[in-house]
Amino acid sequence: MKAAWEGIVAIATGFATTLKHLFRKPITEEYPEYKRVLPERARAVIILTRDPDGEERCVACYLCSAACPVSCISMQSVEREDGRRYARWFRINFGRCIYCGLCEEACPTSAIQLTPYFETCERDILKLVYEKEDLLVDHGGKDKEYNFYRYAGVVSKVGDKGAHIKEDKPVNIKSNMP
Amino acid sequence: MPKIIIDDREIEVPEGTKVIEAAEQLGIMIPRFCYHPALGSVGACRVCAVKFLEGPFKGVQMSCMIDAKDGMIVSTNDEEAVEFRRNIIEWLMLNHPHDCPVCDEGGHCLLQDMTVSGGHGMRRYLGLKRTYRDQYLGPLVQHEMNRCIHCYRCSRFYQEFAGYFDLGVMQSANRTYFGRFKDGILESPFTGNLSDICPTGVYTDRPSRFFGRRWDYQRSPSLCINCSLGCHTTVSARYRQVVRQEARYSEAVNGYFICDRGRHGFHYARTETRPWQALIEGREVPTEGAVRAARERLAEIVSSGGPRSVACLGSGRSSLETQAMLGQLCQKKGWQGPSYFMDKSLTGKAKTAVSRLDPELAVSLRELEGSDAIVVVGADPINEAPMLALAMRQAQRRGGKIAVIDPRPIFLPFDFNHLPVRLDEINLYLSALVKAAVDPELIVDAGKDAIEFYQEAPSLEIVAASLQEKASILAQELRAGQRVVIVCGTQIVRETTPALAADHAKFLRAAKKQAGLFYLLPQANSFGAALLASSEVSFLEIIQGVEKGEIKGLIVAENDPFYSFHDRQRLELAIEKLDLLVVLDCIESTAVKKANVFLPTSTLYEAGGIFINQEGRVQAAPRAYLGGISIAQIGGGDHPPRVYGSDIPGGELRAAYQFLSQIGNGDQIEDDDPTRRSLLRWIADNIPPLAEIPPFDELSENGMRISSSNDTSPQFAVNWQEEKEKGKGSEGPLEIILTDWTFGTEELSSFSPPLMKLERKPYASMHTDDAARLGLGHGDKAKIKLDEGNLEVDVCIEENMASGVVILPRHRLLEWQKIKSLPKFVRFEEIEKVSG
Repeated sequence: MKAAWEGIVAIATGFATTLKHLFRKPITEEYPEYKRVLPERARAVIILTRDPDGEERCVACYLCSAACPVSCISMQSVEREDGRRYARWFRINFGRCIYCGLCEEACPTSAIQLTPYFETCERDILKLVYEKEDLLVDHGGKDKEYNFYRYAGVVSKVGDKGAHIKEDKPVNIKSNMP
Repeated sequence: MPKIIIDDREIEVPEGTKVIEAAEQLGIMIPRFCYHPALGSVGACRVCAVKFLEGPFKGVQMSCMIDAKDGMIVSTNDEEAVEFRRNIIEWLMLNHPHDCPVCDEGGHCLLQDMTVSGGHGMRRYLGLKRTYRDQYLGPLVQHEMNRCIHCYRCSRFYQEFAGYFDLGVMQSANRTYFGRFKDGILESPFTGNLSDICPTGVYTDRPSRFFGRRWDYQRSPSLCINCSLGCHTTVSARYRQVVRQEARYSEAVNGYFICDRGRHGFHYARTETRPWQALIEGREVPTEGAVRAARERLAEIVSSGGPRSVACLGSGRSSLETQAMLGQLCQKKGWQGPSYFMDKSLTGKAKTAVSRLDPELAVSLRELEGSDAIVVVGADPINEAPMLALAMRQAQRRGGKIAVIDPRPIFLPFDFNHLPVRLDEINLYLSALVKAAVDPELIVDAGKDAIEFYQEAPSLEIVAASLQEKASILAQELRAGQRVVIVCGTQIVRETTPALAADHAKFLRAAKKQAGLFYLLPQANSFGAALLASSEVSFLEIIQGVEKGEIKGLIVAENDPFYSFHDRQRLELAIEKLDLLVVLDCIESTAVKKANVFLPTSTLYEAGGIFINQEGRVQAAPRAYLGGISIAQIGGGDHPPRVYGSDIPGGELRAAYQFLSQIGNGDQIEDDDPTRRSLLRWIADNIPPLAEIPPFDELSENGMRISSSNDTSPQFAVNWQEEKEKGKGSEGPLEIILTDWTFGTEELSSFSPPLMKLERKPYASMHTDDAARLGLGHGDKAKIKLDEGNLEVDVCIEENMASGVVILPRHRLLEWQKIKSLPKFVRFEEIEKVSG
């Protein structure tokens, strides 16, 4: 008898809750009608950023592709005419990417960055293979300041030997003067 | 033999072993930058510090500078030593630039490894970093001095080990600089080793600059096939192309280093013009169709003209498998050949070299380093086989004396004595030297042959007056030497010389010396070719057969007679006369363009193969990658095509022996292994020296040295009278000697763009006296009248060469193939000055 009573109370309470919510304003955000702003550090589609001088930051050092646990990044590095190293082509297969962000952690030049943008569904899986022109953006992403070549000490348009940050002027090898 | 305890483990090592080496034998790798087994210790980097707890030394000491002694107890992981090493690494990193992402050494950098393993993660130094200006060092080496940690490995290798002095140390203290006095191409042909030994990225490989990281490369042990020494290499491939080649340590052959020709000679496998598609009469066809066409058309020729109307030409640059498949086909089908050499004289010389290489006389390249007297006969080490010069340099550094008997203007990076004599005099000079070097009393029990040989051999009297002094010094040096090695070339010498070199080595051995014999052969697998070659048919005889109409079909496997045959006009006429020319090759050659049926073959890197080097060492290289047209080429430099599929473009290539098997036997090959296995069985059954050949993958790291000597070849059988007769008459016409250069003459490496930049413009060398008689000056252009037209070439006048000869490089840019028969002589009137 007691058990039956408890059962009825439980059902009634459940229905009461349901009934109450029927007349409440919904709190579900309807996607895609409503798009919530995600935090800047949310991890989704990957971009290749540019340094403050507007040059490609990526030096194609292969660290991201080495760090990638699903091997979805491939590229080919070459030398530019002015001695700068860059990616001749750069490909990310988003069909395979797990958005773990290890590439961003590995990147020594702040070039590769994950963005909050995630709406990349495609019917043709080949469209998920992004080439360099799909990835390259014209801003610095989350890091506006860093320019690798100002520190690296290799000769490029950014600076000659001795002209980089914290560098002494080149040694004169033909003089014995201190 | 001192016993030493390192990290609680005892080891007994030979006297004189450094502590760092003893630890290595225990499997303990003490960090090191400046120490290198080939270069020894200098104690410059201070990073191999360990703590000596007991024994003659106490406290923290450099393990590379201290010999292991009895009673030493060493700790490598003592707190004090670890702290010391950590500080050293931090100091070395003070000025090191922040450029690892754009440094090609990144990923296999010793400094990077040590920094990470030493736990140095954050820079504490806040001052300014020292910088240097870099230099242009040529097309092979990229210089980036900022990265230097001053270990001195480069200058020690370049100057002490290799004997060149245009790169070295400048300045002092904190400003020490490694480079040249001024920008310029490095003179040494061993510069690629700088990038191998540099523990950081000061010297990096320039042709593969910025291409990739070592962890991405398909790395595989391989062999160098750009000369007959068979040096060991490690080949790196990525995205279906070979990217770079490095030296691989070999106890028996090359040690730690290789030459630049070997290092950068692989580009033939990745040139854009490499033929990928089978052709019939110049039209692209599917591979199967071309194979079928070749088979059917050969069958037609055989049915009308009999099996002798088909001939086979192989080469010394093919693997043993391909060479043997030609042999098998000729044996089975009754075709003519196989021939692997252009003329009978070369066949004869190679066959002599192979059959006279007694196992007790044969020395390896590494054993040569231990000899105390070397006589080089008719060989130009730096041009024909550069690593031989490096090995001789080591012998010279240890006090060995070196003599060279050769008509060419020989340069070697060390002190040696050169007897520049004509080819006809080489035999006499060699005999005179050896005779003078031997104590007559020692040979009394040497055997009748040897004694007679000794008595009849010419003495030093035959030596020209101008060379008397030199020759007598040389004879004395030889007399003092106990481990004497005769190095004999086979390219330019007369047919009798290789056998005579062997006779002399035997004779020296009879005279109680530890004599050795070291032949140089023309190509990487000429040894295998000599084992297999038919002694009746050389390529010249094939041409004669074609001219007579006896031969209607010719199969050319991995050879380009248009590159190496001395009479192009005759060759062209003969080729036109053929009904069928089947060419199998992996390079874009003239023969490929002339072929009726062409089949594209895979390279050593794509198929692997067995090669036998000049000392009879059977060595195998496995396949490095699967082959196919590289991604760089199919993508036009840009990204790979956006398509799905598992086909490899250009993946229809097969090894030459597989195509040959298909053509000859008609088998369908699904897998390469059965063909290779049956082929190896055939080799074991038909070539006695190779009867014991193990399966491909069971060959040891250092290969297997085979003994191919047979006693049937004539020994101590030289007609001295005839030799002396030939040796006279220096007033005769000038002999044209066709020779090799380090860069630009070897067939495969001449496809290499970085090496092309190092090639010298071809020139003819002449002795001062001859040039004076002709009125030629240094740098003049001369016109030499050859049998089939004139050859215009620059003249280089040299003092240190024989008179009576003109040296012409078999250069890819020189059309020297206008000679009817070899040896070729020209009269003085046939050379004239064109312009000054």
